[in-house]
Amino acid sequence: MAAVIEISGLRKTYRSMRRGVRLALDGFDMAVEAGEVHGFLGPNGSGKTTTLRTLLGLVRPDAGQLVLFGREVPTALPQMIDRVGAIVESPQFFANFSGRRTLRLLATTGGLPDARVDEVLEQVGLRDRADDRVKAYSLGMKQRLAVASALLKAPELLILDEPANGLDPAGIREMRDLMRGLADSGVTVLVSSHILAEIELICDAVTIISRGRRVVAGPVADVLSRFDKGEFRVRVFDHVRAAGIIAESGLPVTVHDDHFVVGDLADPAWITETLAAHQLWVAELTPLTPDLESVFLQLTGTVPEPGKRHQVDDSVLPPAPRRPDADENELTVTAAEPEVTP
Amino acid sequence: MNRPTVNLVRAELHRLLARRFTQVVFVLMLAAFGITFATTVASTHTPTRAELVAAEQAADLQREYLRTAIVQCEERRAEALRTGNARFAEDCRSLDPNRVRLEDFLDGVFVFGESAGDLVYFLAAFLALFGLLVGASYVGAELTSGGMTNLLLWRPRREVVLGTKLGTLLGTVGAISVASIVAYVGGFWLLAEAAGLPGNLDAQFWTQLGLLCLRAWLLALVFTTLGFCLATLGRHTAAALGVFAAYLVLWEIGARIVLNVIRWPRAETLMFSNYVGAWLAKRITVYDLCALDGCAPYQLTLWHAAGVFAVLLALIAGAAFVSFRRRDMS
Repeated sequence: MAAVIEISGLRKTYRSMRRGVRLALDGFDMAVEAGEVHGFLGPNGSGKTTTLRTLLGLVRPDAGQLVLFGREVPTALPQMIDRVGAIVESPQFFANFSGRRTLRLLATTGGLPDARVDEVLEQVGLRDRADDRVKAYSLGMKQRLAVASALLKAPELLILDEPANGLDPAGIREMRDLMRGLADSGVTVLVSSHILAEIELICDAVTIISRGRRVVAGPVADVLSRFDKGEFRVRVFDHVRAAGIIAESGLPVTVHDDHFVVGDLADPAWITETLAAHQLWVAELTPLTPDLESVFLQLTGTVPEPGKRHQVDDSVLPPAPRRPDADENELTVTAAEPEVTP
Repeated sequence: MNRPTVNLVRAELHRLLARRFTQVVFVLMLAAFGITFATTVASTHTPTRAELVAAEQAADLQREYLRTAIVQCEERRAEALRTGNARFAEDCRSLDPNRVRLEDFLDGVFVFGESAGDLVYFLAAFLALFGLLVGASYVGAELTSGGMTNLLLWRPRREVVLGTKLGTLLGTVGAISVASIVAYVGGFWLLAEAAGLPGNLDAQFWTQLGLLCLRAWLLALVFTTLGFCLATLGRHTAAALGVFAAYLVLWEIGARIVLNVIRWPRAETLMFSNYVGAWLAKRITVYDLCALDGCAPYQLTLWHAAGVFAVLLALIAGAAFVSFRRRDMS
């Protein structure tokens, strides 16, 4: 697959009289392949929105290379923009305009027919509230309107920053189906979200960022498998005796109130066979595969700890990317292979 | 213009006219015009035959008085010149009996030829204020609401977007100003015809009035551009209005007092308001407090004003476009 987005060595520093200098992106790399749903994850203030804004020409990078559909941006952005639909953070609209009028203005700007407005209103579920003023919309409805504005162009690449913000459970489900449907029809979707369960369900690949640097990138399954310790939860009538039997084989065992967990297990059938040999019949044998949330918290160093309050800049600072032959402003290409920086 | 630019202009025009602030300020301006018009209607009447005869007699008396006064004035002037007191020689040209008009002796009668200039000054002030407010809020609200960011996701060429916005704004304010001028001047002319006196409306009058209206129209566009560019620089409507208010209080009032106290030479040339006055009146004579120390009064003309406007607009608009092109959009 060809990469739709390629970002390498992206640096951005914000300077202000009051807050001084803040490094938002520090040699960040990312690649998004065509047709995939790509999750973009990171703690608050880690540089996600800055990355997306830079990609869309809203923020000027200090250094690095951004390539969209094979062409460098922001130079070629005016030629590429018709292929990109985007919402960045929570977009604001004029409160006194109706949803339909808001979209019609954008459609006029883009030279699109009004019929397209009706299509996207239907698509995001706002058809019956299209003529209400935006100020009467709930947060979730405003978010749907924002997504509708991003869909107006029938884009090949959809960039969504926190699209599930304020959506009700049905809305989240609809958003998931929408993204999956778009990806199935060939649209590439780059989505930033903190609802990690959703990301795990819909994304083909993820990139995790912390303090402006890439922590990990790759297919979701690959990222999760790196944290798979081969653990299984075992429920059995006399679980303490059963745990002792399994422990005799040298496998790590942790005993809980009504079950035990065994790790480093290659073949779960061995548990059944071993315990059956001791007249212990297994009631439950569940693989404990890591979920994206636990992996995210671990990778970014934001696992909640009793009595400790994490601050926004307390996340992990990954090592700086090594670019032996590149100076700060030189264009670089980073291999998009999965890598984990614990 | 190519099609994408036409689409952008259409969208911007729609956005500008649909904004409530634009509509409210427009209605307030119409209300101000309406009050002025209504007040004039209430205070004028068609002169009766008797009033006209009485006014003509009073005018004749005044002309006769001036003819005598001119003779006496010329005698005093000749005497002053003969005795070497040239600086006390009177200027007798102001005593011109041909300038005495019947309308000067009619009470409670609106005379269009006499009042049109002052009325256009009033109109110019309102059009300039309208342009400043609408220009500042049009871009200021877009920058603070995220509307500009949304737009840049469709049109990433920032200078084209900002230029189109400014062009659309100037076109709209220009069109509204033209319509206002025509309606305003036409309304008062009709009022004079119906319930007053037209006055001496010769070709020279209409030429001067036309040029004054043109300068009022251009002044509205200058203030519109200033409001738009200041709000772009400050990223907020309030930034433009704040700068304007601060300028008035700190410079036009505060600095004027200080400069006069220290007898700063030609201090009035540093005041923007004087150039606005010179622009409308074509020429103003400025009497600084330094005149007490013997310095002569001086004049500011519309060409001085045109130069100041051009430099100010170039600096502020240039800064606004450069800043907008380079800044990070939040």
